[in-house]
Amino acid sequence: MIEFVNVKKEYNHDVVALDNISLNIGKGEFAFLVGPSGSGKSTFLKLMIKEEEPTSGKILIDGKDIGKLKNKDIPFLRRKIGFVFQDFRLLYDRDVYENISFALRVIECSEREIKTQVKNVLEMVGLSGKEKYYPNQLSGGEQQRVALARALAPKPPIIIADEPTGNLDPITAEEIFKTLLDINARGTTILVVTHAKDIVNTLNRRVIALDHGKIVKDEQKGGY
Amino acid sequence: MTTRTYLIKEGYDNLKKHGSKTFSTMLIICATMLVLGIFIILFQNVNKNVETVRLEQGLQAFIDDTATDDEIEYMQDEIKQIEGVKEVKYIDKDMAYEDAKEAFKDQEYFLEGLDKVDIFPASFVVTFSNIDQSSTIKTAVEKVDGIYKVKYNETTIQAVISVSKIVNIFLLGVGAVLLIVSIFIISNTIKLAVYSNKREIFIMRYIGATNKFIRTPFVIEGTIMGLVSAIISFIVISIAYVLIYARIPKVGSSLGVFGFLPYSTLWYQILIVYVFLGLFIGIFGSAISIKKYLKA
Repeated sequence: MIEFVNVKKEYNHDVVALDNISLNIGKGEFAFLVGPSGSGKSTFLKLMIKEEEPTSGKILIDGKDIGKLKNKDIPFLRRKIGFVFQDFRLLYDRDVYENISFALRVIECSEREIKTQVKNVLEMVGLSGKEKYYPNQLSGGEQQRVALARALAPKPPIIIADEPTGNLDPITAEEIFKTLLDINARGTTILVVTHAKDIVNTLNRRVIALDHGKIVKDEQKGGY
Repeated sequence: MTTRTYLIKEGYDNLKKHGSKTFSTMLIICATMLVLGIFIILFQNVNKNVETVRLEQGLQAFIDDTATDDEIEYMQDEIKQIEGVKEVKYIDKDMAYEDAKEAFKDQEYFLEGLDKVDIFPASFVVTFSNIDQSSTIKTAVEKVDGIYKVKYNETTIQAVISVSKIVNIFLLGVGAVLLIVSIFIISNTIKLAVYSNKREIFIMRYIGATNKFIRTPFVIEGTIMGLVSAIISFIVISIAYVLIYARIPKVGSSLGVFGFLPYSTLWYQILIVYVFLGLFIGIFGSAISIKKYLKA
């Protein structure tokens, strides 16, 4: 589903952010991407959604070489990847329903599809009945669930979560990970960038560790 | 709600969200459009009057005293057939004398004791349908048998033409400046709107919104501002022109040269210019402000 082949990314010709990375995350897999700040995690994510271009190498998403995509096709690549941010990135002047439907309007769904899908994803993240709430009326954990619901709504085959629990307390963080596992169980490929050591160790899933732009560890059932 | 309705609603909501900014932008655009409208009106009036002056100038061809009535009739036909001639009016000696009397109404002593027949020759007054052919017409009239002199006030015409050219260039220049100013103002307002929607735009890009989807609400916002300003300006300038025109024509006609065009010949030109301008500055102004947020 996500394949990096000898990917190198340099900034200003001398700063190497990613150094000859090759890896393959299969369909339906759940993987953690870990590493200290500046190890290349953010660059990795940016390359996946074509926010940045690799200096050399090839990236395949869902079997397609994204290096060959034209600018106008980039939005369609991004529709395959649901993004969850550490700071939720919700629209605070819109209620939960509008925040989620926003993602569906962007991909031009009909009103009927929007209604059904918003209901479905809210159920999946455990927020049924909170449609009319505004983000400020929700707890941090709930806000992150709304963000998760928004990422899920367009039914992307991949979910990327960038520090999804960075702003949350450990109990709430655990709940978010449970939800992510549920989503993964339904077949969605999930890649989580995190510093949540305890959770990584508890869940016993694939762990890819980056340091100074290199993969220093890639274990199928690894720890932090 | 279809995608199109949604995007239009978003554009409209943006306008409301930035209410005071929208209002002041439209006020400035209206002011610019009004100034532009005044220039259009001046431009059209100057051109129309210049055209009238140019055409009315014509030339005067004096007829040999020996010419018989038949010869005069033949000459008139001959001149009429010259390309670019609109009308050929015969002025006999009596009429020429009467004209002179009229011209020197207050100083009739000038004409006292003069033998009208000897002093005032018969002539043709030739008017042009196409001023550009004036020189060829003049040469052709000179060649007609029985014409001994052609009076043609070329310097006056040339002066009028060059003055009108300068006026036109000036008006076009001012128009262009005002157009640029309007685009700048509208694009600044949209820039603010784009800035305050930065978060939405960021999310939209990550979700996979196409550039068209992101751009459309802002273009709609700009277009509504442009069009509403155009309509308000049109109403204001129409009322102003009609009110002023009601007082002006007497002045114009008494001078005999300069007259204002009636609004019925102008309104549609102004409306078309305003609507296109409103659309242009709205669409162009908003499109340039959103551009940098649309990098892939």
